[in-house]
Amino acid sequence: MSRMQSLLAVVAVLAVMGVFSVSAPALMNDYFVRILTVMCINAMLVVSMGLANGFTGVFSLGHMGFVGVGAYLSGVLSLSDAAKAAYLPDLPAWIAGLHLAFFPSTLVAGLVCIVLALLVGAPLMRLSGHFVSVATLGFLIIVNVVLINADVYTRGARTFTGVPLETTLPWAMAWLLLTLVVLARIVYSPKGRAWRAVREDIIAAQAIGIDVLPTRLSAFVIGAFFAGVGGSLYGHYLGSFSPAGFYFAYTFSLISMLVIGGMRSITGAVLGVVIVSLLSELLRNLERGFDIGFVAVPPLYGASQIVLGIILILIMIFRPSGVMGDLELSFGRIAALLHKGRKE
Amino acid sequence: MSFELYITQQIINAVSLGSLYALVAIGLSMIFGILRMTNFAHGDMMMVGGFSTLVLQNLGLGFGWAVVGGIGVGALAGVIVERTAYRPVRGAPEVTLLLTSLAVTYILENLGILIFTSSAQNFPLPDWMDSAFQLYNGQITFTQINLLTVALTGVALTALGWFVTRTDIGLGMRAAAEDMGAAHLVGLDVNRLIVVAFAIASGFAGLAGVLWAAQSGVVEPYMGFTPLLKAFVAAIIGGFGSIAGALLGGYLLGALEVFIVAFFPSEISPYRDAIVFCLLIAFLLFRPNGLLKRTQEVKL
Amino acid sequence: MRLTRRTVLRSAAAAGLAIASGTLRSRPAAAQDTIKIGAPFNVTGALSSVDAPALNGAKVKVKEINDAGGVLGKKLELVIYDTKTDPTVIASTASQLVNQDKVPVALGFTDSDAALALGPIFQTAGVPFVTPGATSPKLPDQVGSVMFLACFGDNVQAAAGAEFVLGKLAGKTVYLLRDNSTEYTTLLAKYFKEAYSHGGGTIVLEDDYKAGDKSFTAQITKLKALPTKPNVLYVSAQPDDIGLVVKQMRQAGLTQPIVGGDGYDTPLLLSVGGKAANNVYFSTHAYMAEDSTPAIVAFFHAYKGAYNTPPENAFAALGYDTVGLIADAITRAGSVDPAKIRDALAATQGYKGITGSISYPPGSRVPQKTVSIIGVKNDKLFLAAEVTPAWIAKP
Repeated sequence: MSRMQSLLAVVAVLAVMGVFSVSAPALMNDYFVRILTVMCINAMLVVSMGLANGFTGVFSLGHMGFVGVGAYLSGVLSLSDAAKAAYLPDLPAWIAGLHLAFFPSTLVAGLVCIVLALLVGAPLMRLSGHFVSVATLGFLIIVNVVLINADVYTRGARTFTGVPLETTLPWAMAWLLLTLVVLARIVYSPKGRAWRAVREDIIAAQAIGIDVLPTRLSAFVIGAFFAGVGGSLYGHYLGSFSPAGFYFAYTFSLISMLVIGGMRSITGAVLGVVIVSLLSELLRNLERGFDIGFVAVPPLYGASQIVLGIILILIMIFRPSGVMGDLELSFGRIAALLHKGRKE
Repeated sequence: MSFELYITQQIINAVSLGSLYALVAIGLSMIFGILRMTNFAHGDMMMVGGFSTLVLQNLGLGFGWAVVGGIGVGALAGVIVERTAYRPVRGAPEVTLLLTSLAVTYILENLGILIFTSSAQNFPLPDWMDSAFQLYNGQITFTQINLLTVALTGVALTALGWFVTRTDIGLGMRAAAEDMGAAHLVGLDVNRLIVVAFAIASGFAGLAGVLWAAQSGVVEPYMGFTPLLKAFVAAIIGGFGSIAGALLGGYLLGALEVFIVAFFPSEISPYRDAIVFCLLIAFLLFRPNGLLKRTQEVKL
Repeated sequence: MRLTRRTVLRSAAAAGLAIASGTLRSRPAAAQDTIKIGAPFNVTGALSSVDAPALNGAKVKVKEINDAGGVLGKKLELVIYDTKTDPTVIASTASQLVNQDKVPVALGFTDSDAALALGPIFQTAGVPFVTPGATSPKLPDQVGSVMFLACFGDNVQAAAGAEFVLGKLAGKTVYLLRDNSTEYTTLLAKYFKEAYSHGGGTIVLEDDYKAGDKSFTAQITKLKALPTKPNVLYVSAQPDDIGLVVKQMRQAGLTQPIVGGDGYDTPLLLSVGGKAANNVYFSTHAYMAEDSTPAIVAFFHAYKGAYNTPPENAFAALGYDTVGLIADAITRAGSVDPAKIRDALAATQGYKGITGSISYPPGSRVPQKTVSIIGVKNDKLFLAAEVTPAWIAKP
């Protein structure tokens, strides 16, 4: 495809998505709009997690730590003064005086996560394999403990509420598109190749002059930025949350989305989100009991999680590279498929 | 209360807690030593052991036999998990193994919820276990359960020590942990060794589960979650892959936790878990082989 | 069949379409002659031991009402969802109830955090929501005009507890232990402190633990090291932990009365605590035993008949009463319009439930109800007092 055609295609897609996201609430009922919004947020989180986990081979279990920090930080910043007085009465004056709107607080969340990732990643990115996984797990736990105990700022383990419900589908989609565009550019650039080199063989990478630590660190930090942003979006979607929501259950959910879709492909990450989200919703509704013909299946609460776990194991056994493997969906490929269809 | 008595009480608490961590950490290290895999599902073997003992008691078995049965079911569960979930992915990159174990833990915990509901269930103890010994006018307390914990842990460790030094299978396991390829080459049945390792490791975890349930009075599906994390720290501190290291790490960690809460001011003690994990990270960075192990691990 | 990428992609696409169409296909239209009441509950997850009985109690009442002819000539239908103690699922479920099932009213949850996750969605839609057991008195103000409590607020039960300690137990000094990881236990401890201090008592030591802690030896050791022994121990705890706390305290030789809130209202107190549970008192919504009021006894037998077990705790009775309250409001409103039901609820005066009489003071959506204080003696529960506290801390 020529550059012009590429550009037109991109603009067309953006326009369609823009119109869709704004008009969605009028077209379909709120329940579906919600599902789409959460899918967009999860897609951001999974894709950003894939930078470290999939592309540099550093399997971080601590991604949710950044998401939690992002949610709480942006939440505290965007609370109204009345809410701050009601829920965080002991907040020190310098924070209590700060008040930011949705977009700036989201940006601040992302930026703070960058700093945090630099601090955490500098020591941790030296480790490899399961050691870095366990170490990043330690990071997640530390964040959780701090969130629970710094209750002057976070209300501790109790529900943090009053966050304005600002995340609408247009916002979520816009941020997702930005994330996808930025990450696609980086991953398929020389920097991205360095990432993949480091994933494949550290010694060979070093042999050709790639400095492993900054390479891994850059993936970790960029991933953390979008995690923080995603956390802010999530916080402003739920309106109330607690530290337990940014812990293992959500981590496992994101990991299953990443792995099922394909760890080494951005399209895979997004696809994984779609598959797991729809599957979870369907299973959740089926859990309440349903009828096949004249056989009434009784409610089996908790079954959907088991099914998800089994699917993950099957994928690990039979197709560990996920649905997409390391392929991406690009305009060129779509055009080629359409051409092939026409010829046949 | 005098300082010596306070310390003695805390030492009793530390030994009791450390025994539990040691039991779980040993199993983790064993599996890592042989298979180079971090088995996140190990904690759930505690749950299996605890619930099995409960079910057996409800079916009428006496406490002692129920405990034996619980340990047995725990060992069996470990073997089943290895056969169905881990063997098909053996040899795969570490990430795959890790993810598989995460999936197994997810399934086991939710199975537990499905079968037993997520609320805590009472773990009945025979009446003779319900008393406590009070010394020095009640300033030092330790319970029958504390005694039982230390006793059973001692028995288990002694048995394990005999096993890995005196039996063929035990020696084979150590050989496989040193070098899997070489063990294969000299004709050891590696599959059998792995099965035995999982059985022992999961049995230990099952015992830990029973003792944990006895101490806390309840069993619930997520009971293995926190001990697993702590066991990781213990195993890594002691030297991941080394049984003696896991033992040492378990008691060190138990002592550390108890002393943080006992001696630090109350502003700091809630951060106990954060401190423990900072320690973990420090070890990973500066002494990744832990205190006891000597082999080289990959690090930049 | 070889597992090629193409095969996998094709099957994934097909599965995706099937799933999407399955999810998006509208549910078969419910029969038009029922009144739907939304019922989101944490049937699984950490809170199921209190939510599940509440749901069961609600079902008992629905059957009773339907057997007697229903409301406004129509039968009641509970639209039940398991929200898994997960805030995202709670929000999703709330949206389903409001937008897909289009329920005019709903009841649910015994926990304040869950109600907070669901509240904003119902408030925006103007659909009234009554919680049987989320006891935070701040809930109606935090969420808005559609949120109602069918139970007393924590400030009320804490004040009742304080009065009981000062009065019946003559406890001038108290040791306060609190689970600092949930809204309910933190608030309960705060309200107790205020009411107890106001009544002239002295708190000699305060300490915290986190839900899920298995060992309280550190806290107990500090307590025993105190020069003056407190008369009473007030422990603000959740159902899963209280048995263990009580057991360890007794094992350490602490014989004082242990007092707490409705978190103690669980079979686990006696089954886990065993003999240690003697000399324990707690405030709750009703005394669920065969020697209680005739109304409770009738419910006791109805519940047992339906579920083969006696009601596990007072939350079952609260679920029962909440459905009754909603049915009564619908009858008074004479319609199934959400706004009319909401106004009828707000105007409730003297609805006689089995957990007490429910009335909403003007502008408030927290009922004034009497608190039952239950004690444990000889390994059995008994009704120690019924308290309507004189002084109540502000929410």
